[in-house]
Order: sequence, then C-alpha cells, then structure tokens
Amino acid sequence: MAARTDVWTTLTDPLIRQNPVTLQILGICSALAVTTTLATALTMSISLTVVLTLAAGLVSVIRRHIPETIRLIVQIVIVASLVIVIDQILQAYFAEISRALSVYVGLITTNCLVLGRTEAYARHHAPLPAMVDAFGNGLGYSLVLILIGGLRELFGKGELFGHQVLPLADAGGWFTPLSLMLLAPSAFFLLGLLVWTVRSLYPGQTEAPEHTPPLRAEPAE
Amino acid sequence: MTRGLWSRETVALMLLAAYLPLALFWLWFGGAEALARLGLSLLVVGVWHLVFLLARAQPPSLAALITALAIAMLAPEGLGGFRMILGISFGVVMGELVFGGWGRNVVNPATVTLSFLGFGFPAFAWPVFDDPVAWAAIPAALIAGVTGTVPVAVLASAALVGAVAAASGVLPEQVLFAAGIVLVLLVADPVTSAATTLGRWINGALYAGLVTLFATGWAGAAPVQIAVAAALLTSLAVPLLDEIALALWIARRRRRHGRT
Repeated sequence: MAARTDVWTTLTDPLIRQNPVTLQILGICSALAVTTTLATALTMSISLTVVLTLAAGLVSVIRRHIPETIRLIVQIVIVASLVIVIDQILQAYFAEISRALSVYVGLITTNCLVLGRTEAYARHHAPLPAMVDAFGNGLGYSLVLILIGGLRELFGKGELFGHQVLPLADAGGWFTPLSLMLLAPSAFFLLGLLVWTVRSLYPGQTEAPEHTPPLRAEPAE
Repeated sequence: MTRGLWSRETVALMLLAAYLPLALFWLWFGGAEALARLGLSLLVVGVWHLVFLLARAQPPSLAALITALAIAMLAPEGLGGFRMILGISFGVVMGELVFGGWGRNVVNPATVTLSFLGFGFPAFAWPVFDDPVAWAAIPAALIAGVTGTVPVAVLASAALVGAVAAASGVLPEQVLFAAGIVLVLLVADPVTSAATTLGRWINGALYAGLVTLFATGWAGAAPVQIAVAAALLTSLAVPLLDEIALALWIARRRRRHGRT
C-alpha cells in the first residue's frame, strides 16, 4: 500500500506542486518557442514526454554500469538517440508540424528538464519509479505547454487547433485578434503570471526576497 | 527645502504640478474626447491601485494620476473601452504594481501600456499633437527641472542631441514634438530614469539617439510610436547605464585610493 501511494505521489507531484516549469524553471526555452499554436505545443509535449520516459528507463536500467566520470556523455548519447528517432517519426508522418517545430525537437537533447530528471532521479532509482517520475514530469511540462499554447492561439488568432472558436471582427464577429500574443514576449508574460498564480497557491515556493525594504521610508534631503 | 518635506507623495505632487501646463493645453485642444480618455484611464489605474492596496497593503500613490495622464495623452486613438482597459491593466499591474508600487518599478507603467497597445493593436492610429500642446512640454520640463523632481541631466542631454539632430535636418517637426512630450512624460520620470549623473547624461543622449535612428530608419512609423519605442528601449537600458557609471566610479576610487 505504501509503495502504491509512493508511485502515485511520484506521478502526480510534478503536475502542479513540483511542476518542473513553474517551480524549477526548467525547459522554458522550448516552452516559449513552440507555444504559438496548440498543435505544435501538443506535439512538442508528446515528443518530450516520450523521450523523457524512455531515457529515464534506459538510464535507470544501466545505472550501475555507467562510469561516474562519463555519466553525462552516456546520458546525452541515450537522449540524443531517442530524439533522433522521434524527429524521424515526426518528419515521416507529421511533416507539416515537424517543419513548424523546426529545430526545437532536436533541441530536446539539450532540454534541461530531460538531463535534470535523468541526472537527479533516474540515476539513483529502479526503472519503474524512474519512468513514473519521468512520465509525471513530462505531463507537468505538457500541462504548462498546452495551457500557454492554448491561451496564445485562442487570443492571438481566435482559434484552437486551427478551428475558429471566437468569431473574428473581420468576418463579422466581435473578436479582434491580439497580435501581441503571437510574439515571443507574451509567452514570458503568460509564464510569469502562471508562476505567480502557482506561488500564490503554494506560498512555500516563493523565493526569499533579495532586498529588505527599510521599515520606514527615509525622506530625501 | 527642509529635510522631511520630500516624501514620495511630494515628488508625485510636484510632478503633477509640473505637468499641469501640458495637461491643460492638451485638454483645451482635445475637448470632451480627451476628457473621456483621461477619465477612463484614471478610473482603471485607480481601481488597480485600490486592488493592490486591499490585497497587498501597498500604499497607493498620486503617481497614478501621472500614469493616467501619460496614457490618455499618448495611447493610440479609437481603441475603444475594452482594449484600453486591457492595455492599462497590463501595463499598470505588470509594469509597476507587482514590483511594489511607484518608486520600485523598473519601467514606467505608462511606457509598458503604450508599448502593449502599440504592438498588440497595430492597426490603430497614434495621436498627433497640435503645436501649442507640444510647446507646453517646455514649461513642464522647466518646472520639473527647477524643482528638482526630474533629473536635469536627462533633459539637457536629450535636448542637446535632439537639437543637433534637428539642426542637421534628420528629425521632422512632428517627430520632434512627440519626442519632446514623451521625454517629459515618460523618459525623464524620476523613478525609471538613471540615478547616477553619468548615467543620466547617457540616458538622455541614448533616448534622443534612438529617436533619431528610428526617425531615419523606421519606414511608416508614427511620430509617437517612434518616441514610445525609444522610451521603452531606453528605460530597459537604464539599469545597465547606472551599473556602468558605478563600476567606473569604483574603478577610479580603487586606482586613486587603493580601496573603494
């Protein structure tokens, strides 16, 4: 029973409370780059979750045989091989989305999230918990990506998955697209607001202030 | 003036007094429409200050009036209520209030609002100012500079570089007017302009230089758009300028005295 709750918390913790993007600010490079539409965000989420889960499993299986000194190289080789497979599959079956994602699928190799999980967790745990943890982290990442991608596509174009949801003003509706949402800064704003929301819900996650303001405002001369 | 008189609110009041000529001329020429814009932005900024007062015990500031005036004067025309409310909410909350209120912000909330509205709704026309309104920026700058609420070095260096650019004929008159109003309202703001003397001189010169650059190289941009973009980039560069000025000062101290 205890083991089962353990697996359950390993899986669900990274969804919101220990979310890798909002708490550890890992993997935001791709989170900012691929979230202009929901379709690319979803593809990226699935690719990353698959790569992360498989890589964690593989690293965990051979964890007692990896020499300590070259462990990063071994991990990157494993991750890179998986990424190449995923990239080829995407190019073969989803050519259009693959073009939209451009270099970012390849960059999963260097995604801090993947290395962070294999280095911090999979290297010290049995394959099953390692894969569960990796899957949970992949889901947490996906949650953030899909949320931001959905918001950006909805308010930037009035569409979801390419289908018109909000009637555009040009076509006789009431919605004027917010073209700022399609630019990179809006992803920063949305991610910042999301982190703010999560940290208001879990005040324990707030960082210690860098400066303490004076108790009483000192009037200038 | 005697010590103890100058609190944050005194500075805000003094700035307000300095901006009065500008505001009155603008209202005189803008009429009822200008008054409605000012009322709307005042309402939205005021509500957000109230929300942060209640939610985070952040004392509201009279600087809200200044922010509202700057937004009402410079925002694109014909946006309609909803877009104005969205833009003002974004700018005031993300530009100022989340940092802890007026005095702790890095960028001017009005600059953030105007950039947001400009990038978000590029189809709307930017305002054009009548000559008397633009000239009213000069008394505003004088009052603010003489009372010491606005750094004179910023105004002076921007005016110098601007005068050189205007004399060489690269700045059209409308750009000059818009840049002057934006300089007084947004760039020379005592909170977000540079805090060191050297930084202030570079700050003003950088602003005027960016305006000149945009005026010559940015095809199809409205004068106010040019000035607001220059103001945004300048205010983002200001902490770096201060850092450079401090590093230079420390290096000089170290060379002369062997310690800081």
